[in-house]
Amino acid sequence: MNTINHSNVIVRSTLIATAVASILLAAACATAPVKPDGAAEARAKLTQLQSDPNLASRAAVAIKDADAAVRIAEQPELNKELAAHRVYLADRKVDTAKALAETRFAEDQRAGLTAQRDSARLDARTHEADAAKVQAATARAEGAEQKLAADQARSEAGAAQLAAASSEQQAAELQRQIDVLQAKPTDRGLVLTLGDVLFTTGRADLKPGATGNLDKLVAFLNKYPDRSVAIQGYTDSVGTEDFNQRLSERRADSVKSYLTGQGIGSTRLSALGKGRNDPVADNDSATGRQQNRRVEVIISNPPAALR
Amino acid sequence: MNLTSKANCGSRPRMAVGVTAVLLLAACASTPPAPTANLQAAQQAIAAAERSEAARYAPGELSEAHIKLALADSAVSEKKMVVAERFADQSRAEAELASAKTSAAKANAVNDEMKHSNGTLVDEMKRGSGDKP
Repeated sequence: MNTINHSNVIVRSTLIATAVASILLAAACATAPVKPDGAAEARAKLTQLQSDPNLASRAAVAIKDADAAVRIAEQPELNKELAAHRVYLADRKVDTAKALAETRFAEDQRAGLTAQRDSARLDARTHEADAAKVQAATARAEGAEQKLAADQARSEAGAAQLAAASSEQQAAELQRQIDVLQAKPTDRGLVLTLGDVLFTTGRADLKPGATGNLDKLVAFLNKYPDRSVAIQGYTDSVGTEDFNQRLSERRADSVKSYLTGQGIGSTRLSALGKGRNDPVADNDSATGRQQNRRVEVIISNPPAALR
Repeated sequence: MNLTSKANCGSRPRMAVGVTAVLLLAACASTPPAPTANLQAAQQAIAAAERSEAARYAPGELSEAHIKLALADSAVSEKKMVVAERFADQSRAEAELASAKTSAAKANAVNDEMKHSNGTLVDEMKRGSGDKP
């Protein structure tokens, strides 16, 4: 079309041609703003994409292509079909550039997400490690506690063993002492029988040098200060009951006096005369009567019996 | 064409008109070649989109690309080569858009998954620490 106009103008005259050309150009300028339908929308989308800081720099080539396509679409075109075609291409190219930019943006974000994930994993592991540490510490503490308890139990067992050994030892010692005293264990306690060899017949004072057995008793009482002693005097049946009663009392008292004289507290001692009661042998024979003349020292069992 | 007419127009304007007309007629009379390159480009773009699972992520665009390609083929068979070329180009543009949308959707899906799993990790850790006195 352009060509035909051109040739026609030249045919008439160059001057006229120039004028007409000017008019045509002016006319062209007047119609220039008329852009094909849809081109403005494509341009608007492209502008939006180009001004998006996250996307603008991320698909430079595709955006450049889209821009070129939009420029072509914006050219005034009388052929509606061609104009529509150009707008169609421009629109798709802008969308394509946008999608590619979004893809790149997502890919670029991934580094940050990976760092985030690594950080979260690290935190999780640190946390797990801390928890494990705490658990281990707790277990250690529990172990220490158990060990302590075990040690304590052992030491208690040891102490008990020691105590048992010691009590065994003590019992053995007591038995040894009792054996030394030649005392007999009875329901009333340990009974030590001092024969009449201590006394002259008919008298209550102790024979000098005959106190060996009593000294053993003193030693025993000193060793076991929680034991008290009941001293009981007995006689044979010779003589009046009254005389025998008083004799038995005085002999018991003699023993008590001797013991207090050796430092045994009088509160631990009691003296009692039993006369001719409770004979241990027949008074008809001399041997029997001798056995009946006696002082019995009854050593009480301690409050918590050792045996 | 422009060059031809300009070369002729200086000396013999009338003849120029005739030649131009003849040339134009000739152009119209002879069947222009099919836009083979454009059609191939469209086919390749569609194949690439299909390989990238565009049927799943950009089914509308992919289907549009197929339709445009079919229209291009039909235009070729009607000897409307200009129309065929436009449809072929539109098909290609549509297929390329389908590919681009598919890659964007996939990239975003990956990111969403990562965000989700990061959130889960953080949540689990918080819950874990919540249990501890």
